Amino acid sequence: MKRSILVICSSAVVIAGGYKIPEQSLEGMALSAARIAHGTGADTAYYNPANMAFLVPQLHFLETDLTFVTLPKIDYDGMQIFPPATIVPADAKSEKEFAVFPTFHYVDRAHGKWRWGVSLTAPVGQTHRWHSPIQGAFAQKFYLMTAELNPSLSYRLSDTLAIAAGLRLVYSEGEVDSDANAIGVPIKRQMKGDTVEAGYNLALAWHPGNGWELGITYRSKIDLAEKGTANLYLGGAGNRYSARVTVPMPAALDIGIAKSFDNWTVELDYERTFWSSYKTLDFRYDTPIPPALVPYFDDPKPKNWRDTNTYRLGITYRYSDRLTLMGGLAYDETPVPAHSLSYELPDADAWIVSAGFRWKQNDHLHWGVALLYDHKKKRTITLQDRNEYGIDGTFKHEQAILVTAGFEYTF
Amino acid sequence: MRRLLVCLAAAAALAFVATGCGGNTDPIPDGTVGGKKVVDFPADLLRKELMARHTPGVDANSTLFGYRAYRIEYETVDEEGLPVRASGLMVVPTDYGTTAADAQKIAFMRQKGFSLVSDSHGTIFADREAPTVEANQTLAPSGAPVVLTAMGGFVTLQADYIGFGASRGKVHPYLLRRSSAAATVDFIRAAREFAAKNHIPLNGQLYLTGYSEGGYVAMAALQELETEGEPVVAAAPMAGPYMLDQMGRGVLASDTIGVPSFMADVAYAYAHSYGHPISELVKEPYASKLPALFDGSRDRSSIDAALTHVTSELFTDTVITQVLDANSSYWFYGTLQANSTAYWGPHTPVKLVQCMGDDVVPFQISQATASVMHDRFGAADVSVVPVEAALTGDPATTLRYGHAECAPYAYGVIAHIFSQIRRATVGY
Repeated sequence: MKRSILVICSSAVVIAGGYKIPEQSLEGMALSAARIAHGTGADTAYYNPANMAFLVPQLHFLETDLTFVTLPKIDYDGMQIFPPATIVPADAKSEKEFAVFPTFHYVDRAHGKWRWGVSLTAPVGQTHRWHSPIQGAFAQKFYLMTAELNPSLSYRLSDTLAIAAGLRLVYSEGEVDSDANAIGVPIKRQMKGDTVEAGYNLALAWHPGNGWELGITYRSKIDLAEKGTANLYLGGAGNRYSARVTVPMPAALDIGIAKSFDNWTVELDYERTFWSSYKTLDFRYDTPIPPALVPYFDDPKPKNWRDTNTYRLGITYRYSDRLTLMGGLAYDETPVPAHSLSYELPDADAWIVSAGFRWKQNDHLHWGVALLYDHKKKRTITLQDRNEYGIDGTFKHEQAILVTAGFEYTF
Repeated sequence: MRRLLVCLAAAAALAFVATGCGGNTDPIPDGTVGGKKVVDFPADLLRKELMARHTPGVDANSTLFGYRAYRIEYETVDEEGLPVRASGLMVVPTDYGTTAADAQKIAFMRQKGFSLVSDSHGTIFADREAPTVEANQTLAPSGAPVVLTAMGGFVTLQADYIGFGASRGKVHPYLLRRSSAAATVDFIRAAREFAAKNHIPLNGQLYLTGYSEGGYVAMAALQELETEGEPVVAAAPMAGPYMLDQMGRGVLASDTIGVPSFMADVAYAYAHSYGHPISELVKEPYASKLPALFDGSRDRSSIDAALTHVTSELFTDTVITQVLDANSSYWFYGTLQANSTAYWGPHTPVKLVQCMGDDVVPFQISQATASVMHDRFGAADVSVVPVEAALTGDPATTLRYGHAECAPYAYGVIAHIFSQIRRATVGY
C-alpha cells in the first residue's frame, strides 16, 4: 500500500514558502488555501476538522482531486564563488518540472456530537533539477515528497462551537543527487531515503452567527527522519553507505475569519509557520565516509530558517444554485535566509493568485476546476550575504502553475 | 639524479588519508570482474594535492598518472597450509585527468604492457591500516603506490597479509616465512589473473620490494618464487629483519625495548603458530592481554602503551636466556632461525636498501645478509644500498635517517632502480 501511494505521488513540488504545499483540495486551490474558517465540504477534514461538526449531519462527504503542476525553468544570473577566492560566471536555468498528485478527503455523517473524517494529502514536497555544471555540483536533483494520512475527530461543544483533533501519519521520501565532475571536482553523490513519521493536529471552529465564522488550527512539527542509502564517489570509485538526514515539517498555526453575506463569502487567513526549527541539514552515516568527502557531504550545513507569515484572502460567490465562483490571493514569505539559500531551494517571497469554479451536477455530485499561479519575487544574493553555497547572483522567473480538477460526492 | 630521488622520496610520504575507522560499506557495481574498484583518482587533482603540499619535484609539467586501485580477494594458505581467503590491493596507472603528454605515455605503456611491483607493506596492527581497508575507506591514493604507480607508471601490488582485510580475525603470522611468502606469491598470481580478465596489459616483468616487515616478506616471496621457477627481474627489499635469530638476540639483550609491540607480536604469532602457550614467552599480566591487543582494532601506539618497555618484565627469563645463548634446540630460537630469510642464495639481482641510521632494524643486518648470501650461499648479485648515500651521492655522508623517516626516501631509491631497469629492458 505504501508503495502504491508512493507511485501515485511520484512527484511533488514546491509552491509555497519553504517546501509546504497548503493547497490540497479544489476549494483550497481556488481560494489560495483561505479555507480555515469557512468549510463546506469534505476538505474540512484537512483544513479545519472542527468545521466537520457544522456540516449537514446526515450526509457523508467525499472528495477526490487531481492536481497538475508545472514549474517553469528558474533563471539564475550571477556568479559562483569557490573558496578561497575563485569567482566564475554561473548563469544557468533549472529544468522544467511537471508533476501530478492526487488528494482525497472524506467526512462521515455525524454521530451525535461526534464526527470523524480523513484526508490523504501531499502537504510537503519539492523537486528541482539543474543540469548545468555549477548548479549540478550542488543539486543535480533534489526531491522530497510526502503522503499524509490524517484521520480526525470533531466534537460539537455547542451550536456555535466545535473542536477537533487528528493524527497525522506521514510517509515521505527524498532524493539528492549532485555531481561536480563537470567543474573539475571529482565528487558525486546519489542519496535516497524514506521514512514514516507521526504528528497531530488540533482545530477549533466558532460560528457565532450572522454569517461570521472563526477557525483556528494547529499542526504539530514532524521531523522527517529519512533513512536510506548514499552512494558517494571520489573520482571514479565509490561506496554505498547507510545514511540518514532529518528535515522538519514545521508546526503551523492558522487563524481564519470569514463573513458570509448575500451570495458572498469572504475569508481572511493568517498563517504562522514555525520554520525556525530548521537549524541545520546534517547527513549522518553509519560508517565513516572518506575524509576527503566530509566537507562536502558530512559536515552539517547551517540553515537557520525563519518563522514566516502568510496572509490569505479567499472570496466565494454563489452565482447560481448550480455555479459557484471562487478567487484567492495570498502573500507568502520565504523562510530561507540569504546566507543559506541554495540551488536546491532558491526560495523567495511570493504572491499567489487563484481562481476556480464548482458546478453542482445534481444533488449528490459537485465538480470543479481551479487554477493557481504562484509568482516568487526575484531573489538576489550578494557577497555581503556570505552565502554558504557560494551564490552571488539573482534567481528569476521562479513560478508555479497548478490546475486542480475535483469531484465531491455527498450521500 | 639526486634531485630525482629526493623528489620521488618526498612524494612517498604523501598521505591523503585522514585518520578514521574503517567501516563496512556496500560495493556499487562498477563492471570490474573479480574485484572491486576502490580508488579511481584523477592525475590533475593528485597533482594539485601534491603541489599544495609543496612536494618537491611535482609541478605542472612533471609526469603524473591517474591512480586506480582494485581490491582483490584470493586464496592463500596459512602457516599450517590451511586455505585462507585473503585480500590485496592492485594499483594501476591510468590516463584519468592526465596531461595530453602523459596520456600519450600511458598509451605507449599500455602498448608495451605494465611492469608489476609487489610492494609488501610494513608492520601494521590495526585492520584499518591494511592497504585495501584504508583504500576502501578513503577512496584516495596513499603511500608507496603514489610513487610507484602515479609517478613511476608501475602496477603496484600490496597484499593485506593474513590477519587483515578479508582474513581479519585470523592471527597475523608476523614474520613467519611460509605464510608471508604464500600471501604475497598467491596475490601476485591472483593479480595477474585479475589483470587478464579486466584488460590491464602486463608485460610479464615482476619486481619485488617492501619495507621493514615488508622487506622480510619480499625476501621470503623471492625465495618462494625462485623455488617455483617464477622469474623476478629484481628485488629490492628495504630495512627487513632478514636474520630473525640475530634480531631476536639483539632485542632481548637490551634492558629496554623501544617498540615492545614488535617483539611481543613475534612472540604471539610464533606461540600461536607452533602451538605453545604465550605464557612461555611473555610474562603476565601482558601475556593474557595479547589476544585483545592484536585483534586488529588497535594501532601500534595504543599497544605499546599497554605493554612495558622493560625487557625482563615483558619476556620470561627462559626465553631471554635461551635466545641470548643462541640455543637452536630451544623451540623459539630454532624457529627464529628457520624463519629467517637471510640464509639462502638468490639468483635474482637483489638490492638491500636501508638507511644507515635505522634505529629499529640495524643497518648491519642488511650488510650481514648480503655477506651471508654471497659468501655462504653463492649469491651472485646481492648488494647493499645505503639510502643516505644514494640520496647524497656521497658514500661518506654523515646524513642519517631513522627507521620510520627513512621509508619515503627508500621508496624513492627503489623506484629509481626499478625504473632504470625497466627503461633498459622494456623501453620506457
